[in-house]
Formats: sequence, C-alpha cells, structure tokens
Amino acid sequence: MKTENFRQRIRRSLANETLQLALDANAARRKASRQVAFASLPDIQERRARAHTVKAEIVAHLEDYLTEFIRQVEANGIHVHRAANSAEAVKQVLALVQEAKSAPGHGLPDEPLIVAKSKSMVSEEIELNHALEAAGCRVVETDLGEYIVQLRGERPAHIITPAVHLRRQEVGALFAEKLGIPYTEDIPTLTDTARKVLREVFLNAQVGISGVNFGVVESGTLCLVTNEGNGRMVTTLPPVHIALMGIERLVPTLDDLALSLSLLPRSATGQKLSVYTSLLHAPLPGQTRHLILLDNGRLALRASPLAESLYCIRCGACLNACPVFRELGGHAYGSIYPGPIGSVISSALVDPQFDYLAQASSLCGACREVCPVDIDLPGLLLRVRAGGSPRRTQGDTKVREQREAEQREGAGIPLPVKVGLKSFRLAASIPRLFAVLQTLGGILTHLLSPRRAYLHLPAWTGWGYSKDFPRLAVRPFRARWQDVEQEVAEGHREQRTEGSEQGERREDEAEVGLIERFVQEVTALGGKVEQISAGELPARLQAFLAEAGAAQALTDDMTAPLLGEAAVRRPDPAIPVGVTGALCAIAETGSLVLVSGAGETLTASLLPPFHAVILKASQIVPTVAEALARPEVRHARAGVIITGPSRTADIEMTLTIGVHGPGKLVVFLVDDW
Amino acid sequence: MPETVQLFITCLIDSFFPHIGEAMVRVLNRAGVRVEFPAGQTCCGQPAFNAGLRAEARPMAEQTIRVFEQTTGDIVIPSGSCAAMIRHGYLELFRDDLPWLERAQALAGRVFELTEYLVDVRGVTDLGARWPGRLTYHPSCHLLRGLGVDRQPRLLLAAVQDAEIVELPEREDCCGFGGVFSVEHPELSAEFLKRKIANLEKTEAPALVVADTGCLMHIQGGLTRQGKPQRVVHIAEVLSHR
Repeated sequence: MKTENFRQRIRRSLANETLQLALDANAARRKASRQVAFASLPDIQERRARAHTVKAEIVAHLEDYLTEFIRQVEANGIHVHRAANSAEAVKQVLALVQEAKSAPGHGLPDEPLIVAKSKSMVSEEIELNHALEAAGCRVVETDLGEYIVQLRGERPAHIITPAVHLRRQEVGALFAEKLGIPYTEDIPTLTDTARKVLREVFLNAQVGISGVNFGVVESGTLCLVTNEGNGRMVTTLPPVHIALMGIERLVPTLDDLALSLSLLPRSATGQKLSVYTSLLHAPLPGQTRHLILLDNGRLALRASPLAESLYCIRCGACLNACPVFRELGGHAYGSIYPGPIGSVISSALVDPQFDYLAQASSLCGACREVCPVDIDLPGLLLRVRAGGSPRRTQGDTKVREQREAEQREGAGIPLPVKVGLKSFRLAASIPRLFAVLQTLGGILTHLLSPRRAYLHLPAWTGWGYSKDFPRLAVRPFRARWQDVEQEVAEGHREQRTEGSEQGERREDEAEVGLIERFVQEVTALGGKVEQISAGELPARLQAFLAEAGAAQALTDDMTAPLLGEAAVRRPDPAIPVGVTGALCAIAETGSLVLVSGAGETLTASLLPPFHAVILKASQIVPTVAEALARPEVRHARAGVIITGPSRTADIEMTLTIGVHGPGKLVVFLVDDW
Repeated sequence: MPETVQLFITCLIDSFFPHIGEAMVRVLNRAGVRVEFPAGQTCCGQPAFNAGLRAEARPMAEQTIRVFEQTTGDIVIPSGSCAAMIRHGYLELFRDDLPWLERAQALAGRVFELTEYLVDVRGVTDLGARWPGRLTYHPSCHLLRGLGVDRQPRLLLAAVQDAEIVELPEREDCCGFGGVFSVEHPELSAEFLKRKIANLEKTEAPALVVADTGCLMHIQGGLTRQGKPQRVVHIAEVLSHR
C-alpha cells in the first residue's frame, strides 16, 4: 500500500512541469560545476580511495574513535550528550533550550525564545523544529534555501539545495506573501530581503543550532562548512550553541579533514572549498557549546550489510547524478534523505517502510561514479532489496512482525513480478525445459504478432507502458548452434596489436608561484587582492573605508593599531567594514585562515558587508593540509577558513554574492614589513 | 592452434535475438578464435538477483558455475550486464559461502565481455567490417560503469569501414531499462527512454549501437511503439557486417 502511495507521488512529480524544469537545470549545472571543480584535482581517484579507507577505518572501530573524540571535545570545554534515538536527542535539545530560557539575559519569561538554525540534516531526521515550536520557541532556519522551504511549510527537497524544486517566481510570491515585500523575481533583491530579516534573528537569538560536517578525533574539532555565513553566525553570536551530529561523521586527523575538505565542496557545490569552513573547539567567551551525538539507527546500520552507507559525507552528489532523482526531486521519496543514499539509509534512520525506495533504481551506477568516498551505492541498493536493512528492536510487536515479513528477500516487489521471476527460475533450472519453453514462446509471440517483430502490450503490464515487446525466436540460439558450428571460420585473420592508446593526459601545469596562484584563486572567487608595500597600507585602508562610506571599522589585535581612532573592538553590527589579519592563507584554494584569540577577528570578518584582510606574502602556504597542520588552528577556540565572499545559489542555483557574511572581500598583500 | 573460447550466449540473445549470437560467432572466428557452446547454460540469474530474490538467483548462478567449470579457457559474453553479474554479482551472492565463493572467483577470472575480449585479450580492433552510414553508440551502464569498458567498443567501431561514428548527446545517461525496474516503475523508465530517444534523434543516425541486449530491446521497443524509423543494433551485428 505504501508502494502505491509512492507511485502516486512519482506520477505527481512527473506531472509537475515547474519541478521538472528545475530538476533538469539542477542536474545539468551540478554535473558541469562538479566536473570543473574536479579538473583541478589530478589525483581524484586516489583521493576517493583514501577517503574510503579513512571512513572504513572509522566505521570499523566506531566506538573507540567516538570515545577518543568525546574525550577531546570535552577537554576543549564543550558539553557532550549522546542520544540513542531521535526522541532522546529532541529531549536533550529541549532541556538545553529551557536552560537558556531561564538564564539571565533572556528578556521576559513569556517572550518566545529565538532559536537560529543553520542547515542540519540530523535536525530534520529527528524533526526538531516541530518539537521546538511545540515548546514555544521561535525557530528560524537561516540557510536561504532552508528559510524558503520553512516559510512554505515544507521540508528540504535536497540535502544540499533545499529549495531545488522551486523557481524564482515561487520564491518571489512567497516573500511577497510572508515578508510583505513587493513581488519581485530579482534574485539579489530576494536574497537581500532574507539577509535583512535573518540579521535580526542572528542578533537576537539565544540559541544557535547547527549540524557538523566532520568531527576530528585527534583534536575534537567540529568542522562546519557553509557558503552564506549563516553557519558562522549561528555558532558565533548566540550565547548557546548546540551542534547536532551523527556518530559516524568522524575523521581521525586534521590531515584526513584536509582530504575530506578537498572532496566535499567539490562534490556538493563544485567549489574547491566552501566559502566558510568553521573549525570549532572551545566555546567563545561568554558562550556555552553543546554537542549532541546521535545514533538513531546508525549502530544498527553498522552491524548490517549496509555498513558502508555510514561512509557518506552528505555531499548530495549522488542525488545530482541520479536519473531517478532528476525525475522525482526530493519530496516524492517521502524520506528526508532522498536519492540513492537516501534509498539505502532511510529504512534504518527514518522509517522501516522505506525499503521500497530501493526498488526505484535502474542500477545505472551513476551514483557510485560520483561518490567522493566511493560508496558502492548500487551494491547497497541490491542489499536493501535482498532484505539487508537492519531490523529495529524497538516498537510494538505488530510493527516488528510486519517488519520481519518485509525482511524477506525481494521486499517491496509486486507479487506478479515475484511469481514471474520464480517461474523463470524453475524453467531455467532445466535446460531442456527451457529450450521447449523458448520455442513455445516463439510460436506464441509469432501467432500474436505475425508481421511485426515487436508486440504491443497493454500499459498495465508495466512493459507495455512505453514500449513494445520483442517476439521470441522460434529457433533460439541453442537450436541453431549445430548450424553455426558448421560454418567454417573464414580464415580471415586480421590481428593488429593496438598500441597503448592511453595518452598521458596530465596537463603539465606550469609552475605557478604561490602568490600568483593565490591571487588567481581569490580573483576567480570574486575577491580582490591588492599587492602593496607596507608604506602604502594606511592610505589604502582609508580609501577602503571611504569606499564603504564608513568612518570606523571593526578590527582585531593585529589591525587595530593600523586604524588608530577608527578602530572598533566590539562586535557592532552597524559598522559596515571589518579589517582583520589572518593566520595564514592557502594558495590552492585562495583561502584565508582566521583564528580567534587575537581579538574580535571572527566577528570582524563576519558581520560587516566589507571585509579587508592584511596579509604578508610569507603567510601563504600551498595546501589546505598545510594550513590545518598549523598548531594555532588546533589551539584556537574557533577558527574559520574563508574562501571568497559570502554567497548563495539557493534560488535556481543562481549565484548571488553577499548573504550573511561580507559580500566584498579585499586582501591587502604586503610584501613584508 | 587457434584459441578456443566458451560462449555464454545469455538468455536474452538465446531466446529473442539468436541472429546476434550468430554474428558474434562470426566475429570471434574472424578474430581467429574457435568457439564452443556449453549446452547446459541458461541464465546467469541476474534478473532475480537484481530484484533482491537471492534465493532464486542462487540456483541459476550455481548452475552456470557448474556448466562452465567443466570447460576450459576464456568465457566470452555479448553483454556487459551479464558479464558484470558473473564478475562482481556472484562474489556478492556467495560472499557468505566460502566453497562456492572460491568457485565463483575462479569463474569470474575467466569471464570477458565481447568487446573487452577482442581488444584487451586478442589485441584486435579492425575486423574488416563495413557498415555504410551513420552510427552512434550508447554505452550501457553495466558495461561502462560496472566493467569500465568504453574504450574497447569505440576502438572497434572506429575501425568499421564507411561508418560515420557520431557522438550521442548525454551518452552516459541510463536508457531506463534496469531489468525489473522498467516493469515496476514504468513511469520513471519511460522518462529515461524518452530522453534517450530524443538524444538519438539529435544525432540523425539511423542506427544506434549497443553492446547489451537489455538496452537493445528496451530502446527498440520504445522506437517501435513511437513508430520511429531508427533501429538499435548490437555491436556484434555491426562488426560482422561486410
């Protein structure tokens, strides 16, 4: 019966023209951008294999790694909670929210507490928003795409691009209705409207809730990647930050994190690095940080034949590559995890009924081809079909019995198909019977269709829905073999050994100097690098302030002396310019690495729409791995890798620069001083 | 002495398209290979395996293993999908049964898809074939991604005289067959098929070449239903044509 509903949902998706246009555009653009992004990674197959091994190691020794990770996270001053299932996780969040509500600083007790959320699939999995709202909180999703679907009262249609199913006209109408702005289809205007509304939310939220992309075992780092800047806001501004994380989202070392970061953004959004890669350790001054580690079926998956699905880093590449997702979009799946990976894990993590999703695959393997951790998704889909999803022990007996019945092989296959396959097996087991049936089939189909080689079958047969069925041969190959064998080979031998055609395709990338490469990358991202001498710096900074129409600038320890009286050291959101230093910069991605501890670097680089960074040429390192190896990264309360100006592509995948973080990014590259 | 190979004809070619089997034997003969046909073979078990009915797939796989164990030499299959089933699928099917797993592994090491065998094992690309007119090639999913075979059929086609080979747009997209999938989810399957046929029309080629019979009967079935003039041919038919 559930399958029936699924077919209805399939038909609805196929009939929705707006959705089909949006999904076609998504598939085409994501494919192209992913290809471009991976072109800059010559050793991609080797990296995939390494990432696969890293995750396999984590999953094989999950409890050990978790224990060590928790030890490190707690040593960093973060409170850790483990939740066995979604109910427990929700309860823990609600308790923390209650605590925040009764904390001094929160206004009137009757005023709803504001919870600012950045994108978290785990929070969707446990249906957290609903519970928070029931508890009287005002929950606001702050990722633009999530915000849009929240305003529409929907759930995300894609794990990376929540509003993938919508076009600008629908967003325009939604904002006109819900936010009271005049109707517009202009994406920058829509984005800016959301920015303004959400800015108030960030500044007034008592609790920020985020997901976690990677937890680093050796350092207890919580790594979070976002493009708009909302993830940084949510983890930086509210006095309480709660991070939600699936227990499997670990990597052993910062070096493994660098490897994972070379794969995740490329696979997800076609970027070398997301704009903001937050590295969270200790809470910031005046802040409390919690981490909730969720099992909710993951340990059961680990013990099942589907354990490999826990290697997933939730990049969404398999959704973009999947021809079924391209037809359906996320909602038709019914589970919050759609696409190939969703069809594998939804039964274990969301609802056992979702086994039937695995039937909706042609096993074309496009998902595996793009998976950055080389998960054998077609193989796992086959295991789900063979009844490999873990059983749930909780729940009443009736559910369990039903579940066990479904556990049997071929769960979700319609009965006629099952009977057909069983009969076929019986026939194929006896070659002579098989031959007789072949001939009978041949005669029958020729009687049914004497002239045409293909028969018209009715639509209800499934086969006949869109195509004709070939006649069987009256004399199958096995009957012809004797004749074929008589045919003497024509002695026409043309054996030409063909040389190895595999040309070395590696383009010898000319040795680009570190500075040159850095400038190239920043510029490509829409940032600007000005190479100047130390003497020019004060004048250039004044000019930068003038351009932004600002008399003052937010600064950190390093830059405050350079700005003298114009320097502001508190996080004042009214000041439009931030001027900061950086720990180092990364040539391969055009990134800047900023760490807390040297004043208000993190807020000065986040709140204002204009951000200038002062960098010495000698601070540029070649790779992400080398930047992450700097001890300052490990020892900072929090840090961020900034890769270009804040951006979003959540509406029709149209790139819009400047969302919650700075839209203008300038690097003053000083030879030395 | 010429090399002798065992032919695993596949149940689809055996039952529906025996002329493709005949073409394949001619092609192998021209490559200097002698062909034997073990009579006890029927189906590799892929339909049941892909449907999740492993208990049904097993006897068919065991039968296939038993039949070919009694032979020696390479086993050549005119289908990427069935070759992938034996090379990869059997290892999954028998992964908890060591004695059978070892037998499956031994068989997997002997199995080659037709174009893979011709190019990689025999080192042949030019079979003296001639096919006047335009051709375009659809790489079937299990051949392309399951076995990583793509260069081989392209080299073979490039050597066909008088044939103008044009690139199929979005060539790597699935045609929507997927075995039981096309019957169970005909609405989805139909969408893939629609796109594949539209892309075929863009090439203006009168014939689409495939190396897998599943795709062949699916796409040809769609073309016939829509009354389109194009036809789908198996690569063995092209390579045997003069």
